[in-house]
Amino acid sequence: MKMLVIFEKKERLRHVGHLDLMRAMQRALRRSGVPIAFSKGFNPHLLLTFAAPLSVGMAGLREVMEVPLSEEISEEEFKEKLRSALPPELPCVAVRAVDDRHPAPMALLGAASYLINIKENAGPLIAAIPALLQKDSVMVIKKTKSGDKPTDIRPMIYDLKAVGEDSIACTLALCEAATCKPELLLDALAQEAGIENRPPVLCVRTQLLGRDLTPLELL
Amino acid sequence: MKEFSAERLERLLDTVLKPSRYTGGEMNAVIKPFDQADITFAFCFPDAYEVGMSHLGIKILYDIINRRPWALCERVFMPWPDMADGMRRENLPLFSIESRTPVNRFDIVGFTLQYEMCYSNVLEMLDLSDIPIYSKDRTDGPIIMAGGPCAYNPEPLAPFVDVFQIGDGEEMMVEAIECVRACKKEGKSRLETLRALAGIEGIYVPAFYQPSYNEDGTLCAFTATDPAAPAVVRKRVVLDLDAAAYPEAFVVPYTEAIHDRIVLEIMRGCTKGCRFCQAGMLYRPVRERSLETLLRQAEALENATGYEEMSLSSLSSGDYTHLAELVCALTERYGERKISVSLPSMRIDSIVKQSLEEAQKVRKSGLTLAPEAGTQRMRDVINKGVTEADLIRAVTDAFESGWSTVKLYFMIGLPTETDEDLQGIGTLAQDVIKAYFSVPRGVRAKGLRVTCSASTFVPKPFTPFQWQGQDDLPTIREKQARLGEILHQVKGVNFNWHEPELSMLEACFARGDRRMGDVLYAAWENGCRMDGWTEFLNYEGWMKAFDDCGVDPAFYANRPRGEKELLPWDFIDAGVTRAFLWREWQKAQRAEVTPDCRKGCQGCGLKRFEGVCADR
Repeated sequence: MKMLVIFEKKERLRHVGHLDLMRAMQRALRRSGVPIAFSKGFNPHLLLTFAAPLSVGMAGLREVMEVPLSEEISEEEFKEKLRSALPPELPCVAVRAVDDRHPAPMALLGAASYLINIKENAGPLIAAIPALLQKDSVMVIKKTKSGDKPTDIRPMIYDLKAVGEDSIACTLALCEAATCKPELLLDALAQEAGIENRPPVLCVRTQLLGRDLTPLELL
Repeated sequence: MKEFSAERLERLLDTVLKPSRYTGGEMNAVIKPFDQADITFAFCFPDAYEVGMSHLGIKILYDIINRRPWALCERVFMPWPDMADGMRRENLPLFSIESRTPVNRFDIVGFTLQYEMCYSNVLEMLDLSDIPIYSKDRTDGPIIMAGGPCAYNPEPLAPFVDVFQIGDGEEMMVEAIECVRACKKEGKSRLETLRALAGIEGIYVPAFYQPSYNEDGTLCAFTATDPAAPAVVRKRVVLDLDAAAYPEAFVVPYTEAIHDRIVLEIMRGCTKGCRFCQAGMLYRPVRERSLETLLRQAEALENATGYEEMSLSSLSSGDYTHLAELVCALTERYGERKISVSLPSMRIDSIVKQSLEEAQKVRKSGLTLAPEAGTQRMRDVINKGVTEADLIRAVTDAFESGWSTVKLYFMIGLPTETDEDLQGIGTLAQDVIKAYFSVPRGVRAKGLRVTCSASTFVPKPFTPFQWQGQDDLPTIREKQARLGEILHQVKGVNFNWHEPELSMLEACFARGDRRMGDVLYAAWENGCRMDGWTEFLNYEGWMKAFDDCGVDPAFYANRPRGEKELLPWDFIDAGVTRAFLWREWQKAQRAEVTPDCRKGCQGCGLKRFEGVCADR
């Protein structure tokens, strides 16, 4: 039996890196007293898997992790136990019990929605949205381990709209085959607006989605 | 004036190294409404977050203060230099982790002094808080307190700190905050509040004392100038450690701390009487926690933290009466939950093979031993009651139990040291390697790693070596080079040493007087901070400060003190008497050992404390 845990990583913890977050979750699970399964081997550890690591600096509203269990436990009991073991900045939003054959959340992942609050000079970027959406191809430079790579991100933008005067809501591809990070979208908007550097932003990942854009936790 | 702004802070956090050092939100952090507390206490650790979060004292006092519904304690750490500079650029004041309140809004700002080389950080943190650095320049705002082992010679910080707490803090801290609370309620002035605090046993208010000096620069007299100030400040001792407050939850950091685990303080104090060891003298008498209490604390802490490691803390864990029982009980209880138990600061004469095997059941860490010196004569001088046979037996046991990583700690520059003593370190390392190969191939673990670490001896107050001059820099460098040469010839040994400049500065502060305060201020003005971090040690800045103040570092570091010299810390009664320390100093020079006082009272002076050691 496995439990899918949907949790929030609040803004205050946005600088906590993925490995640190994983350790915090492992400790929370230990505190909670839920029946967790350990790996076999010399240094036994908890086998947590996350749908997608959050970038440092980003908050998450509905993040997904999978916890393998050594015994059956009801969703209600699991949630209640975990709730009291988590710090206020890292609350558990929902849980869902699945059987062991349920695919790993990572394998189901297809996209993610983001809310990006632009801290400075938002006007030109917001204004560039319609023009960007008109295009068939949007080339940006993607920094990879093997160097800078020109990439067309247009097919990876599933949704993009302004929210108020200084924020953007978007849905971007996020899977093994193709990933468009919010930074790349901002680069493209800055390019379109003729701004040299992208302004400082606060980015929140609001939802992880499957390939058909269904919320990941429902798949 | 600096002004706090969450917006500017968030922007700055996006640009600094390891921003999660400053953002809090950890499990078990105590969140209270700031404005509803009678007394607010900013607990300042003058080093980086990950160092401070490893420190036990802050956990104990944070808990003690926050347990009181009328008091609030929040944590503050020294910002890494990139953050400190960014805060100045952005005009942001130093703030607490929990509620992000500017430090200068607290009633009390308390520093813990674990290590002399954090003193420049104390000044930096005051300045970042917009608090005047010199005590005499403060007419309102927080009362600046300090405690911890370095407070036993408070004089170098006397110009900057309003109130020192000397000794165990569990009871004294409560009395101190209750006193400030009462004074605040009654609308007492700052001066009246300081007078009230001076009446608490263990508290020293530097403004109420005046030193005078002889022509040769030595201290002539040290006089209490205020009727509220006692002539002698006696350290505080928690008599019943088993009943003393201990946290049932630790704040669990996200970013990894240096020591990120459950700590059980099994015992306080040490009776061995190693003559170089300040902690061994300061934390007397020995007090133990009961097995029952420790198991209860372990359970509470494990449930509250979820840590995967537990360590036993004391100056000499091997001397704890119920060590074997404790380790067995802990491994039995927590082995199944995959929690490992580690035993640091083991003295090599006390390693219980059984304990080693128990501890190793879950996870194996390296074995650290501290023979401190290379020859028996030298070990007799420092009263390290350990023989080479003890050491070899201990490492052989460890190798037989599957250990293969051994760290050996030594000191160089000890009193009466000769070349033979340096060679002895090489011989000892060689014998450890031989012991490894004496264990059959199938039994011993693969991959032997022996590390020899040599630190430079720093004479400390309230030790028998407080009268000894430290070796000067050229001598230390020569000895380090010589030891490097010797160990180079021993195959399979790594050799580490410390920067001798740092040890020299440490020596100046360890036995400094108030005039060292001016050097500290000048050095801080020259940009010195984070001196304990090799990458930030600005030795030129320090030397210029000594020069500009007309102070010779050799006066403090290298000068031997005479029997009659008045020492800057003599007004403090630390338990051990000056007569005992002098007797030990004489015996040291004759390489005469003093047995563990559990085998018979050595008259160190602690008997004066209500029979804590009389029942041994």
